[in-house]
Amino acid sequence: MSGPVLFVLRLLITASIYAFLAWAFWALWRDVLQQSALLANRKIPTISLNIRPAREELRVSHFIQPEILIGRDLAADVRADDETLSARHARLTYHHRQWWLEDLQSTNGTFLNRERLYTPTVVVSGDRVDCGSMMFTIGLAMEGINPPTQKIPARIDELD
Amino acid sequence: MITAAVFLFTYSLVLTLSPAARERTWDVAYRWTHWLGFASWCFSFGLAHWQIRKKAPESDPYLLPVAALLSGWGLITIWRLLPDFGLRQAVWMVLCALLIYLGLRKPGLLRALRRYKYVWLVSGLLLMSLTLIFGTNPMGGSQRLWLGCCGFYFQPSEPLKLLLVVYLAAYLADRMPLKLRLFTLLAPTVLLTGIALLLLFVQRDLGTASVFIFIYASSLYFASGRKRVLIASGALILLGGLAAYFAFDVVRLRIDAWLNPWLDPSGRSYQIVQSLLAIANGGILGRGVGIGNPGLVPVAHSDFIFASIAEETGLAGTLGLLLAIGLFTARGMVIAISAANRFQRLLAAGLTTYISAQSILIIGGNLRLLPLTGITLPFVSYGGSSLVVSFLAVLILVQISLTEEEEPAPLPFTQPYRLLPVILGVGIFAAALVNGWWAVVRSPALLSRTDNARRSIADRFVMRGSLFDQHNTPITVTLGESGSYRRTYLYPDLAPITGYTHPSFGQAGLESSLDNYLRGLQGNPTRLIWWNQMLYGTPPPGLDVRLTINLVLQTRADELLGDRTGAVVLLNAENGEILAMASHPSYDPNQLDQIGETVAGSPSAPLLNRATQGQYPPGEALTPILNVLGVSTETEIRSIHASLGLYETPDLRMPVAVASDPSDESLLVSPLQMALAAATFSGDGIRPAARIAQAVNIRPQGWVILPPNSSAIEVLPANDALLVTEALVIGKTNFWECRGQARRDGNIFSWYLAGTTVNWQGTPLAIAVVLEANRPDLAEFIGQKMLEAAVK
Repeated sequence: MSGPVLFVLRLLITASIYAFLAWAFWALWRDVLQQSALLANRKIPTISLNIRPAREELRVSHFIQPEILIGRDLAADVRADDETLSARHARLTYHHRQWWLEDLQSTNGTFLNRERLYTPTVVVSGDRVDCGSMMFTIGLAMEGINPPTQKIPARIDELD
Repeated sequence: MITAAVFLFTYSLVLTLSPAARERTWDVAYRWTHWLGFASWCFSFGLAHWQIRKKAPESDPYLLPVAALLSGWGLITIWRLLPDFGLRQAVWMVLCALLIYLGLRKPGLLRALRRYKYVWLVSGLLLMSLTLIFGTNPMGGSQRLWLGCCGFYFQPSEPLKLLLVVYLAAYLADRMPLKLRLFTLLAPTVLLTGIALLLLFVQRDLGTASVFIFIYASSLYFASGRKRVLIASGALILLGGLAAYFAFDVVRLRIDAWLNPWLDPSGRSYQIVQSLLAIANGGILGRGVGIGNPGLVPVAHSDFIFASIAEETGLAGTLGLLLAIGLFTARGMVIAISAANRFQRLLAAGLTTYISAQSILIIGGNLRLLPLTGITLPFVSYGGSSLVVSFLAVLILVQISLTEEEEPAPLPFTQPYRLLPVILGVGIFAAALVNGWWAVVRSPALLSRTDNARRSIADRFVMRGSLFDQHNTPITVTLGESGSYRRTYLYPDLAPITGYTHPSFGQAGLESSLDNYLRGLQGNPTRLIWWNQMLYGTPPPGLDVRLTINLVLQTRADELLGDRTGAVVLLNAENGEILAMASHPSYDPNQLDQIGETVAGSPSAPLLNRATQGQYPPGEALTPILNVLGVSTETEIRSIHASLGLYETPDLRMPVAVASDPSDESLLVSPLQMALAAATFSGDGIRPAARIAQAVNIRPQGWVILPPNSSAIEVLPANDALLVTEALVIGKTNFWECRGQARRDGNIFSWYLAGTTVNWQGTPLAIAVVLEANRPDLAEFIGQKMLEAAVK
């Protein structure tokens, strides 16, 4: 009889709509995985600071986190008990594949290469930064992104 | 992309084979022409897909497949409804693919859009205003919204939507960062949108006008991030709607039909009620492509294409459709957020909102979630301009997604990009819920409505059971071939009793009361009924019913009654089987198409079954019997009347008049009741239960007896019955008789009651004859001749 044959075909129709949607959602999921793998593999270039605080020895610090707070605050990453330094004086952040220096409305101001900083600015190796009486120079590791350690899925447009 | 092609291939295949399922045989004319549509779909999207792979491999990989799926689905559905329109849609589709092909070769498209924003919008407005002068309507309606000639029409309001989005995105991207004083800033946009709206209002294209307001409000919201824009425009739409309700008849009609569709289901809310019926008929899995009847919904190929799809693919299909629209919306928003500059972001967000909101608006209209608006379902509905504009939107979105590799522009306010997708998502979700409500919860109630034409269409494709007399001589049969089955009444004189089943006049008589058997909904195993509903969307083949009527006696009764007005009921006094039942005047149910109106309005009421539904005063008909029994007081008479069942409505499988109540001023009885009363005397004081339907032919068991609805009861002492039959015996025969006249409202009726006496060795018989004339002698003649014929 024609009915059962068509019935099976009708179920196939419904199945194919959902197969299509399943393909789409699967591809989206792959996209999410790909994106997260990509971001996980994207390493922050290490930044090293040659810090010369007032009346103290020169020291070199290396950082791997994307945000570095400079100030008198106990939680600051670069800390000095210096009265010319504000509690939260300045911040170095990594975004848009650059390190940015930003003044946090400090009392004495932040100077980049002896110029007062008003807006977040990109810093490069060798830049000199003055916060109060503290001075440091910036050194950036040259390689931007490490080679991926995780396998990145193929692009979704190759899947269909 | 491949899955979409598989889907469409199966879809087309089912459509080809669907006539086989409708007529339940492989020997049918298959549908082939829509493969042309499938071929042009394959060509179009093969080309577009290949071009995108080549020119824009990094672009969004979801948009084109979703658009292809939706438009292919629409194309085949349109082809299934109206092949001519399908062909045109296929041509438009090829045009869209070429547009994408060429558009991808012009990377400067977005910049040109931005730079010449006023040129675009003003030319769109000019085109639109041309419809005021040169506008036509290819469908012949009163709204002249199209431009063109020679079978090629174009609706300028469609591109105008796109151009408005482009203009707003370009303008707001240029101006917004500079000033934040909304009102001076927005003056030009208000002006231009106002002109567009004015044009639409003049043209009474209010559905498009509401889409315009929505586009304007959402563009402004995306650009400014101020929620009050949204609230203000929401209030504006409400106010505008309210004003339009009082100003425009169209709007009032639509809103009334939306709020109270059940008040006027055949008039103002015909469209929406038919749409809901189609959705209800679809149920969960749908009737199957080509097997439903979506053509019953007006403009099914355009405004109501969602209802057509719902009927043929069911809730399962429409949920897929809604998910696809949701996917499109989600991807559009992602493209917007990661766009490289403000203009592109606003453009992508605006286009996505426009496509998504328009879809929700019309789907909501189909589902009675929102008032009905005469707009198209993007990608799916028939309409060249709509299709082209939708694909232009896809082209622009694909181009914007190409620039995703660049760093996204900063996003000053995230709220619009979170809130609007949520609003659209809620809209889609609400549509899915309401769809489930109509397709599952309310489906049985909707499908049993009398204005559901699917029942009578099913009768053309499924064999209805026949009616036979007691010797299996056919009375009413179904002839013809599947697809053109026709009910044929071989013995038209029985029409008032057997009734008719007709697509526009409905059903009457036994055709109505035995409908469940004849239609196969009763007597068949539940699984078989369910299976048939699943496979074919129709009930299983009907079951034959054998009546107690004896056609030989019936013919005699009809001959004797001739052209006189009256009724004859002859029954077996022992088991209550009705051997002959005549009601005159009669009519020929085979000619109901022509005579239906006349017959229904005729003062002689031929449709009425006088034998069971006629109500006559008994008059002096029972007086001889009462005299024999020595009954004289009012109370005693009433008690005899009660014993004879004159206050009881006979319960048999056909329409009968409700009996009088003992407290009623005047007693009215039907000939059937009188025949049963007569049977009480011929049957030794036992009043039988009347039967007309004797057995039903259930496969594979064969004839299964239909038991009487009530049972025989002993109402008089056997002696009393004997007394009466002996006193009223006719000469030396085995018959007793009594006759009398009755008067009511100046009309005179003649009664004749008779039956066999105890001495009769055969089956005891009883008869009642009534004539609507002062002819007791003729009533007697008819009765006696009938009895003579019956005892032979």
